[in-house]
Amino acid sequence: MAVLTMGLIIFYLIESSLPAFLEINAGLFDPDSEWRPRSANPSYNILPMILATLFVSFLGVAIALPFGIGTAVFLNFYVRRKIAAFILSFIDMLAGLPSVIFGFLGLVLLVRWFETNLGMTTGECVLAAGILLAVMLLPYIVSTSYESLQKAEKRYMYASLAMGISKEHTIMKVILPAIKKGILASFMLAYGRALGETMAVMMVIGNSPIYPRLFGRAQTIPALTALELGSVEYGSLHLSALYAANVVLIVILAIVLGTGYFLQRKLKKYDEI
Amino acid sequence: MKKKHLLTLLAIIFTTFLVIGCSNSDDSDKNADGDKKATEVKTKIQFTGSSTLAPVIQAIADDFTNKYGTWDKVDSALPNKDIEININSGGSGEGAKGVIEGTTDIGMLARGVKDEEKAQITDPVEYLVGIDALTLAVHPENPILTIKDDLTKEEIVKIFSGEYATWKDFDPSLPDEEIIVITRDIGGGAHEVFQEKVMGDVDVKADAIQASSMGALVTKIMENKYAIGYASFGVANQNEGKVVMLKVDGIEPTVENILDGKYIIQRPLILLTSGKLDAAEQAFVDYILGEEGQKLVEEMGFVPAAQ
Repeated sequence: MAVLTMGLIIFYLIESSLPAFLEINAGLFDPDSEWRPRSANPSYNILPMILATLFVSFLGVAIALPFGIGTAVFLNFYVRRKIAAFILSFIDMLAGLPSVIFGFLGLVLLVRWFETNLGMTTGECVLAAGILLAVMLLPYIVSTSYESLQKAEKRYMYASLAMGISKEHTIMKVILPAIKKGILASFMLAYGRALGETMAVMMVIGNSPIYPRLFGRAQTIPALTALELGSVEYGSLHLSALYAANVVLIVILAIVLGTGYFLQRKLKKYDEI
Repeated sequence: MKKKHLLTLLAIIFTTFLVIGCSNSDDSDKNADGDKKATEVKTKIQFTGSSTLAPVIQAIADDFTNKYGTWDKVDSALPNKDIEININSGGSGEGAKGVIEGTTDIGMLARGVKDEEKAQITDPVEYLVGIDALTLAVHPENPILTIKDDLTKEEIVKIFSGEYATWKDFDPSLPDEEIIVITRDIGGGAHEVFQEKVMGDVDVKADAIQASSMGALVTKIMENKYAIGYASFGVANQNEGKVVMLKVDGIEPTVENILDGKYIIQRPLILLTSGKLDAAEQAFVDYILGEEGQKLVEEMGFVPAAQ
């Protein structure tokens, strides 16, 4: 059933994006043009949005990963089980918060902080979106790496301690390398989640369809879609181009999750030897 | 043997169908007669057109349906049938096309009706629901207010197209800070008015901030001293004191100036029909133009037509 739904969605997306791929063709990825679907001379370059989506998501995961793994290590090795479970459920709650709340906090705290402390005229930027995404991704990374940490602890901890190696050294040199696989899995899961995040990112990134810079405004594909889908004319090339952008997003998602799966299997084989 | 059985079976099936078919056709004839009597007054209204006007009509329709439920409660002369109001948004052009082709009862247009469209409709009738006006809004501490509270159309074009990148470019006495241009989504209705009435063929600069709603746009202006954006008249008015509305070519955005057309950044919101409305349609249009409907028009950020 799930496969059927997924298949239908992909089929519908591709079918609806066909006019754009056929009529605009290379114009969809022409670095010299811009995204101006409603201009007198319309142009439909979705390249800035693709890059922005990849960039912002990467930034978010890259910031969240060290914090997330650090939190998981702390909870597993330095906090009593009961308290850890309590804190963990608290962190999990973070994942359930509607993203519009994150977006709002990002707007009033993060964006304003950029404005007052970094002397920016306006604080909407890729970095703000990256930091916000990192906060949103933390629960995913913490819970997945916490699980693999527990497994690794059972397997290696006592053996290592018995050899007179300190706890810290064991964590750094034995446990963490052992859960590379788990970390990679959580990286992929988080990255996939970040690619699709719409509301929170839309509220802090400024939504300018230009090439992303760390302290510049940009627009992600989900934000572009959410912003323009409501007012787009049915059956227009503009709508079709939006679908095309989302086909690209799905292809990227498939590649990300596919490589994740492939790497995981490779690591598994390596483990078994 | 088997074949014989099959034949008998087929024969039975066909006869059954024949009998059912006959009785059915009798029934449907009766039904059709009954329907004819009921549909003398239409109880279903189809709206098609502008995506700016669609949410307004939708809100009024929800209000109307919740209040009355069935048509006979609106007016005892109308039949006891559920109120059905369908609203399709597909752009003003679709609205006019629907009326011309007779596929929709009432067309919603966020622009004037073109002459060639009028020519194709038998007895076109227009109802002005409200006016969509945009004001150029800035923060009360915006440096521009120290020298003037009035922009010419050319100045606005230069600000929004990025020709003036900083406030210093606009006037040497102003600080060297970036002009933060805030727009709604470029594909949306509000931007369409602004593009048509002010920018013409010039595009807005690519690094303008696109706000996801009018509320977000005004909030951004209230927070940022260097920002300028087009706020809908209604929303800007609700935040009077927190944002300042600039004059355009010397004309202040007031209800009077908007209604008599002196203030240029505006467009009419029109319902277009062919010929006279029937009783149910008339009842709903009266409701839109009446007190409750116009209140909703104002709440959604537009200038109500009946002041």
